[in-house]
Amino acid sequence: MPFMLPTIISNFFSGPATRKYPVVDRVPPERARGHIVFDDNKCVYCGNCARKCPAAAIEVKVKEKMLDFHPDRCIVCEVCVEACPKNAITLESKWRKPFATREVEEHRGKVVEKPPKTETPQKEDAPPPEKSGDS
Amino acid sequence: MPRTIVPFGPQHPVFPEPIQLKITYEDEKVVDVVPALGYGHRGIEKACELNDFQKNIYLCERICGICSSIHGIAYCEAVERLWPLEIPQRAKYLRTIFSEMSRVHSHLLWLGLFADAFGFESLFMQFWRIRERVLDMIEMTAGHRVTQSVSVIGGVRRDISAEQKSRMLDTFKTVKAETERLTSVLRKDYTVKARTVGVGVITTEQAVLFGCVGPVLRGSGVAEDARMQDIMAYKDLEFEPIVEQDGDSWARCLVRFRECLQAIDLIVKALNKLPEGELAVKFKGNPPAGEVSFRHEQPRGEMFYYVKGNGTKNLDRVRVRTPTYSNIPSLLLMLPGSSLPDVPIIVHTIDPCISCTER
Repeated sequence: MPFMLPTIISNFFSGPATRKYPVVDRVPPERARGHIVFDDNKCVYCGNCARKCPAAAIEVKVKEKMLDFHPDRCIVCEVCVEACPKNAITLESKWRKPFATREVEEHRGKVVEKPPKTETPQKEDAPPPEKSGDS
Repeated sequence: MPRTIVPFGPQHPVFPEPIQLKITYEDEKVVDVVPALGYGHRGIEKACELNDFQKNIYLCERICGICSSIHGIAYCEAVERLWPLEIPQRAKYLRTIFSEMSRVHSHLLWLGLFADAFGFESLFMQFWRIRERVLDMIEMTAGHRVTQSVSVIGGVRRDISAEQKSRMLDTFKTVKAETERLTSVLRKDYTVKARTVGVGVITTEQAVLFGCVGPVLRGSGVAEDARMQDIMAYKDLEFEPIVEQDGDSWARCLVRFRECLQAIDLIVKALNKLPEGELAVKFKGNPPAGEVSFRHEQPRGEMFYYVKGNGTKNLDRVRVRTPTYSNIPSLLLMLPGSSLPDVPIIVHTIDPCISCTER
């Protein structure tokens, strides 16, 4: 007990080490890995993030321009943020709120339908050139 | 005298993780111990064979919750030796800093749990309060409090800026001062000494014979530490292992306490000497065929990684040997002869990490 006295005395004057949590929110450090956010306007659905994700939390269908993100699988390793060529994924320092159901975040891009090919007249169908002149 | 067999675990207040010790008592004296493992097997080594070698870093980090960054660093160092890749000097220093930060917070966690095991709850809270500052520094630099994910093949991902460096130097100065203030409690307090001195003795010869590693071996007077090799920046930082001679629970406790202070010194030294340069080297292709082993010192002792590459993106084999596996046999020497209330203390002094051991 006597050897703890200096610590006990300093604890009296140093104030509490804890914070009043629900009232005082903890501000995370600047580059803390809280959760990731997708920007649909920047995303080109290349699938780089899905290939590099170690937790298989991102699924991309390149042709259909579909990106499904599973927040419950994400380990917030920041690999996708580094892999994205268009900076469409950003890292937020705040933790995601707890969730009870496994919901999937769906991101859909605009599939630009290519105009149907105009039917060019084929040589065989082309009307025979009019014979002109005397033969 | 009738004998009683008591199953100690797998669910027990002392154990945060599942391990069973079948302890035979004669009255209150322990006469025999049979450890039973296998409650926490997750098949991580097999999963490493099926995964991409770059994704394995995050899998290996999940082998252990406390020394996760050291697992990631050791895996990367082992795979880099397949090429071999020479990583930048700054990356070596950063890996050393992240390893040592893990050690400080792991030892502070252990010291707290150890104090709690013999009923000194206020000491437990003091150690854990100090530990919180270290975790804040880890979160500030690596991004996560525990699963740091800083190491990649070829270097590291996160840098320490000048502002972060000065904050770290200030914080670790406070952490060291606060930890040193508790030195006299550990060294002189009657409660600590009465419960630990002469309890669970293992001699130097026995420790070597049973293949003990880490603080258990160093607490018995053997200067053996994987950091004595020329790995990362430990040679530049003039690392010397910490040794205690008594071989009892108190000696092992003091080794960890002194290592905690030493790790803080190593961090400060590494931060002051941190060289400028790149964070990672670029590499092409998959790791070539070959096999490599790498040893690194975890807070609990020496860890061993064996990696076999085959030229594809998948590795043929990843084998991990963790320190608790080497230290469990020493319990068969320490526990017989001790009394019932000393069992949790002795088991704690090997700092068992079952998720590491069974993977």
